Amino acid sequence: MSDVTRSMEATTADATARVVRQRRTFASGWWGMALLIATEFTLFASLIASYFYLRFQNDQWPPAGIEDPSLALPLALTGILVLTTVPMFGAVAAGRAGHRWRAWMLVALAMVVQGAYLGLQIWLFADDMNSFSPSATAYGSIYFTLLGVHHVHVAVGLALDLWLLGALAFGLTNYRFLALRVIALYWYFVAFIGVAVVITQIYPSL
Amino acid sequence: MKKWGWGITLGALLLSGCGKQSPLEPQSPASHDIAVLWWWMLGIAAVVFFGAVALLAIGWVRRDRPGLPFIGENEGVTTGLVVTFGMVIPVIVLVALFAVSDLWLVKRTGAPDPGTTSMTIRVIGHQWFWEVRYPGTRAVTANEIHIPARTRVQVIATTADVIHSFWVPQLNRKIDMIPGNENRVLLYADNPGIYRGQCAEFCGLQHAHMAMKVFAEPRKRFQGWLKDQEERAVTPATPEEREGRQLFLQNACAGCHTIRGTSAQGSIGPDLTHVASRSTLAAVTLPNTNHALERWIRDPQHVKPGTKMPALDLSNTDFAAIGSYLDHLR
Amino acid sequence: MAIAVPKAADARIDRLERIWAERPGVMGWLTTVDHKRIGLMFLFTSLAFFAAGGVEALLIRTQLLQPNGTVLGPNGFNEAMTMHGVTMIFLFVVPISIGAFGNYLVPMMIGARDMAFPRLNAFSFWVFLAAGIFMYVGVFSGNAPTAGWFDYVPLAENTYSPGPGIDFYALGLIFTGVSSTATAVNLIVTIFKLRAPGMSINRMPLFCFAFLAVAFALVFALPALTCALVLLEFDRLLGFHFYDIAAGGDTILWQNLFWIFGHPEVYIIILPAFGIATSIIPTFVRRRMVAFPMVALAEILVAFIGFGVWAHHMFAVGLSQVTNIYFAAASLIIVIPSGIQLFAWITTIVTGTPRFKTPLLWIVGFIVLFIIGGLSGITFAAIPFDQQLTDTYYVVAHFHYVIFGAAVFPILGGLYYWFPKVTGRMYFERWGQASFWVSFAGMNLTFFPMHIVGLLGMPRRQYTYPSDLGWTGYNIIESIGAYLLAAGLLMVVANLIVSSFRGEAAGRDPFGGATLEWATSSPPPAYNYAVIPKVSSPYPMWDAEDRDEDVANLASGRMVLEQGHETPASTAVDADWDEILDMPSSSPWPVVLAVAISGIFAFVLLKQWIAAGVFVVATLVVLAAWHGKEPQRA
Repeated sequence: MSDVTRSMEATTADATARVVRQRRTFASGWWGMALLIATEFTLFASLIASYFYLRFQNDQWPPAGIEDPSLALPLALTGILVLTTVPMFGAVAAGRAGHRWRAWMLVALAMVVQGAYLGLQIWLFADDMNSFSPSATAYGSIYFTLLGVHHVHVAVGLALDLWLLGALAFGLTNYRFLALRVIALYWYFVAFIGVAVVITQIYPSL
Repeated sequence: MKKWGWGITLGALLLSGCGKQSPLEPQSPASHDIAVLWWWMLGIAAVVFFGAVALLAIGWVRRDRPGLPFIGENEGVTTGLVVTFGMVIPVIVLVALFAVSDLWLVKRTGAPDPGTTSMTIRVIGHQWFWEVRYPGTRAVTANEIHIPARTRVQVIATTADVIHSFWVPQLNRKIDMIPGNENRVLLYADNPGIYRGQCAEFCGLQHAHMAMKVFAEPRKRFQGWLKDQEERAVTPATPEEREGRQLFLQNACAGCHTIRGTSAQGSIGPDLTHVASRSTLAAVTLPNTNHALERWIRDPQHVKPGTKMPALDLSNTDFAAIGSYLDHLR
Repeated sequence: MAIAVPKAADARIDRLERIWAERPGVMGWLTTVDHKRIGLMFLFTSLAFFAAGGVEALLIRTQLLQPNGTVLGPNGFNEAMTMHGVTMIFLFVVPISIGAFGNYLVPMMIGARDMAFPRLNAFSFWVFLAAGIFMYVGVFSGNAPTAGWFDYVPLAENTYSPGPGIDFYALGLIFTGVSSTATAVNLIVTIFKLRAPGMSINRMPLFCFAFLAVAFALVFALPALTCALVLLEFDRLLGFHFYDIAAGGDTILWQNLFWIFGHPEVYIIILPAFGIATSIIPTFVRRRMVAFPMVALAEILVAFIGFGVWAHHMFAVGLSQVTNIYFAAASLIIVIPSGIQLFAWITTIVTGTPRFKTPLLWIVGFIVLFIIGGLSGITFAAIPFDQQLTDTYYVVAHFHYVIFGAAVFPILGGLYYWFPKVTGRMYFERWGQASFWVSFAGMNLTFFPMHIVGLLGMPRRQYTYPSDLGWTGYNIIESIGAYLLAAGLLMVVANLIVSSFRGEAAGRDPFGGATLEWATSSPPPAYNYAVIPKVSSPYPMWDAEDRDEDVANLASGRMVLEQGHETPASTAVDADWDEILDMPSSSPWPVVLAVAISGIFAFVLLKQWIAAGVFVVATLVVLAAWHGKEPQRA
């Protein structure tokens, strides 16, 4: 019984690091996030499947009057999003070792870049809306919906980052380390989906 | 004239309730095969069901003695029984069912191969009637399909609005009518007769009143019918009928209906050029009598609530006149 | 086998009682996170919706009592028909299974003190309640949906179904999906992490295997429905064109997305019932389940294979022959795990010494009805036969046999079985048996003739029928059967209500059950178990040595975990003890969050985007407040 963790006792950075080392299983919160990711993954799979289903119901894709999607900027932006998983990963490692401020800085760095990513994506989204509309063709409908749903997931991630920065500013407990871990997991998922979505988005130009 | 005599006979037969809609009274090879398949499946299902009930009865009778009858308690045997009856035997039966129905029979009830049919009819589903066209002719009618008996007829099924489903069970399985798609089904009647069909995909308020009749006739009679259907509308003979036509063309009627040979070219409701030659009205909701026709046009929402035909603000004599005009359009 | 409580242990129990005490009164219920209270709230709410769905059914059957009936016009009928399906599936059978039975019993069966996420659990209930109210606001405001429970397009698009009816349907189902997803996630994490140390996966009761399978199926099936509904609402509210062929969309996209969800949904409906059956059978036949590992595996396989068969709902659509044949083959394959389970249950009954008390009667009834429903389902895997009989009353018969017979009968049996545990009183046995027979007769009288009238060509979903096709007699029998069935169900309800006031004291374990919930008092204390039980098999109550060890532990303090709201967490497969978790006590945030989310749905329905946005922000704020309270020991 002595080797059983009472994780709620870990209210300091050192205690947290000890608890994390001792725990043999994934924490409940980790499982919860993993399952939430499973549902969102399935949602995106349904959307992407719908994209290709509609594609194969149409002879011309995109339909006449709509340009093929550009390659460079979407790919570059997605690359940047994927890169932000590195500071998130680093933040988790720092938290695991009990280094609160290092973790905080790395999350802040990731958040700034993620925010810039989202800002640019929204700008591109609005720019696309000027060329073609989601309420004119099925292509437009699925294009903007798929991208929009992904951008919403990024925005939610930014809200999670904000909360995390606030929480970590007050200390590193087991609970907050867990939060850091699951939010990082969320970002790995969002980055992965970003890749799937961008490939779908640029598919007609490939 | 002979043709009208045939129409009256049919009308009389209709009023006596002729035209069944049962898959278990097949009148074509496809429906026959499906019905036979059903009876075999019922037989096997009955064996399985009564076998299981018998086992449960044994459980009740032997409720004070543990273990199997004669064998007693034996984990290996009970597990073996579960494997045999829960897996092995079902696999054998299901593989057989699959082979017969999904590898062999399915070919006989699928859409007809191109070139294997003598005739094509287009049926377009609407809320809540069937538009029937005979490509290669000028014939257009509604809710009543005539085909030559013992002839392979291809039906191309489409829709003008929502999903409907074309189903004449005595002649073949159903096929959905999907926007943008052209599905095909074979109609082949072993014998002359009248076969009832109905829309088999929920399509809104009057889905319940979207039926049709298929008349399989001897070839000569069919060709006579088809030729008549190609003709333009008869000119009215009496003053009341002329008055009726005038009212029809001047009011909203002509905006929705076509009567070939007049200025009525609407395409929202059924073609009425030969409406009086049909055995029923409003997609087999009413018999085709003068009284029913007048009731239908005077108060459509009462007969078929939700129908798109509006109630017109006309006098009783007006409705009688329109009725007698339409009644004349054989 | 009573658990005698030594004096040394009294102090420990007092402490547990104090730590786990609930807030009194209404506030206590609004802020509760106790899985048992939440389970009861789910139970009563879903039973209320069962009554609503039942009224809708009786309206339908009264209208169809005679040809050209005038009880309901076509619009009223279409509303009743649609809401009957939606209510029964989404507001009754799934919530009662996972929300009532799952929530109440899974933690107890695994020896835990609560679910893994108690506040999420409460949230799941409040969202379910809100979503049900949301949909019925639509009904009572004259805006019920009318396109059937599967809501095919183009009928469900604005052109053919103007007005908010379909929006209530679509948004309402996305809303209930939030509740079901939350419960599913909770069940999975609870089963993987909170099993009592020593309860390795192979010692977990079959009930938990069934619920684990259901939960995974929900996680992977619901998003397909959400996708379909979101695309539909975008078409309806924003003028998009997903399903609109004129602009490059596709009608069949809806059917594919819907049935990719819809078919696993029917296994989601039936698997909890399998779990209930596999709990009741061993208890009443006094024998372990035959072929336990095969049954456990079969439960999981059904959920898994269920994802590969969806287009058997679309055999008449005109898909390619190859596609149809593949789906028919997959649909036949899924028969096998069901067959294995059926045969295992029957063999267990035959080789045991059954006492045919009320709970077992419902299960025997279930077995008979499931066989009939399963057989008619198998006939549908014969593609040409399906193409004749789909969309007729034959399929209505099939799915009522499998949903009512095979999902609801075990639920009713389960209500009787666990009634003594939940209330501490026994139900009236003779009355219980009578309620079974009346319901069984009513069920068969209502639904068996539907096979026949379908074979005579009667299509489904029609508000009336003509008198000259030979259908009238069968419809009369079906309607009489429906009233008889309603009477049987009222007998069940009356029995349970009266018994909860006048029943005899039941004691801890009136039936000699095998699973852990029978180890604790009836009703259970808030902390479920004074001692986290020792487990060496899936039938812990039949392992006397382990139960004796629990008594000893209570005296010594081992496994009592009385320093807070504590429950053990263990490894996922072997259940080695890893951690002591501190669980939340009561919290207002679940109900507040449910209200915030209701605001989003309400204002989206009303097309008030700014107001909806305000509620989105409110949701985020509430979520932050929720996660501001950490489980640190005071």
